[in-house]
Amino acid sequence: MNSQFMRITSRFMIASVLSLGLPIQSAYAGIVGTDKVAAAAHTQSERARIGSYLEREDVSKALQAEGIDADAAKARVAAMTDEEVLKVAGKLDQVPAGGDVVGVLLTVFIILLVTDILGFTSVFPFTHSAR
Amino acid sequence: MLLNAGSVMASPQELTEQVYLPGREGSLQIEMLAAARRNGLIAYELAPELNDLLIEVAAGSPVLVLQNLALSWYPRWHYAVVIGYDLERAEIILRSGLERRQVMPLTTFEHTWKRSGYWGMLAMPPGQMPRTATESAYVASAVALEQAGHAQGAAAAYETALLRWPTNLTARIGLGNAAYATHDLQRAENAYRQATLDHPESAIAFNNLAQTLADQQRYAEALIAAHQAVSLGGAEQASARDTLKQIEIQLHASKLLPEADTSPPTKIGN
Repeated sequence: MNSQFMRITSRFMIASVLSLGLPIQSAYAGIVGTDKVAAAAHTQSERARIGSYLEREDVSKALQAEGIDADAAKARVAAMTDEEVLKVAGKLDQVPAGGDVVGVLLTVFIILLVTDILGFTSVFPFTHSAR
Repeated sequence: MLLNAGSVMASPQELTEQVYLPGREGSLQIEMLAAARRNGLIAYELAPELNDLLIEVAAGSPVLVLQNLALSWYPRWHYAVVIGYDLERAEIILRSGLERRQVMPLTTFEHTWKRSGYWGMLAMPPGQMPRTATESAYVASAVALEQAGHAQGAAAAYETALLRWPTNLTARIGLGNAAYATHDLQRAENAYRQATLDHPESAIAFNNLAQTLADQQRYAEALIAAHQAVSLGGAEQASARDTLKQIEIQLHASKLLPEADTSPPTKIGN
C-alpha cells in the first residue's frame, strides 16, 4: 500500500469520525444553512465541506505557529469562509502579509532607489518619480 | 479608517488583535476580509480593475488595497486606503501607514498595485451595496457575514440584494435563515414561502418552510411542505427526510399528550 493511499484513507477515516459531530452544520435542527443553497447549485459535496473543516484546523495551527494564541486563532479562523480557508491552507507562510518590513539590504536599497525615481516602485518617501 | 467609514467604531488595538500576525510582521488579505465581517460589515472584494476602484472611490467608499511597494522578487507588502484621485493630474490619494494623505502618481500606484494582483476590498454597512457589485459576489459576501455570526447584519444585506435581484434564491433563503436565527418566525416563514413561489424546484426552501411551520405548531401545513421537500430530492434529501420524520413525531406527541389519546398513531401523508 502506498503512502498516498494511506493518507487519503486516514483522511477519510478522520472525516467520517468528525462528521458525526460537525459544528459547521446549521445550528438549528431542521433548517438547512444558506451556504448549502449555493453549494447545491454547484453540486458541491459533503466531502468538500468536511475537507474545509479539516483545513480550518490546519490554518488555526498555522496561525498559532506565527505567534497567535489558540483562542484568538480559533476566532480568526471562524470568521473565514470555506473558500478562504481552502485558499490559504498549507501555504500561510507564502501568501502576502502586508505591513512595514524593517531592514533593507544595501544592494536592494540602491536598486529600489533607481526604480523609485523611474516611478516603478514607491519605497522611499524622499524620491520624486520622474514620471 | 476603513471600518470607521463603514460606521463601526473599532480601536487600532482591537483590530491589531484581529489581523496582525507576529511571525509574518503583517496581515493576510483573508484576515482583512474576515476582520471586516467580525465587525459586522460586508467585506466585498473588488474585481481587479482600476476602473472599478475609481468608481467606488468616486461613490465615496474608501478602498483598502494591497500594494507591493518594492519588486516581485523582493516584496514589500503594504496596505493602504485609497481615499481620492485626480485624473487631470494623474494622481491618487492614499491614507498610508501613519500618513493621512499621501499623493502618489497614478502610474506608480498602478505598478505597486499590479504586483498584488490588483487586490482591493470594501468594508460596507450591510444596508449599502457597492457600485460595482455583482450578484453572486455580493450575495456570497452576505452569506459570509451570516456565517461569521452576524444574523441581523446579514438579513439587512440579503434585503439589499433582493431589492436589486428579487428572485435570488440564496439571498431569499438567507433572509429566512437569518430571521430564523433571531427567532423571528413570521419573517422567516414569509421569506421561505416566497422562495418556494420563486423557485418551486428548491427542496431547501420547502424544508426550511416546513421546519418554521412546525415550530409554530402548524403541523398540517408543515407536513405538506416537508413531503414536497422530500419528493424534490437533491443534495439535501437526507435533511428533508429527517425534518419530515421529526414533524411526524411532534405531530403525534401533540395529539397524544394533551388529550391522552389512546388510539394508535395514524400516519399522515404517504
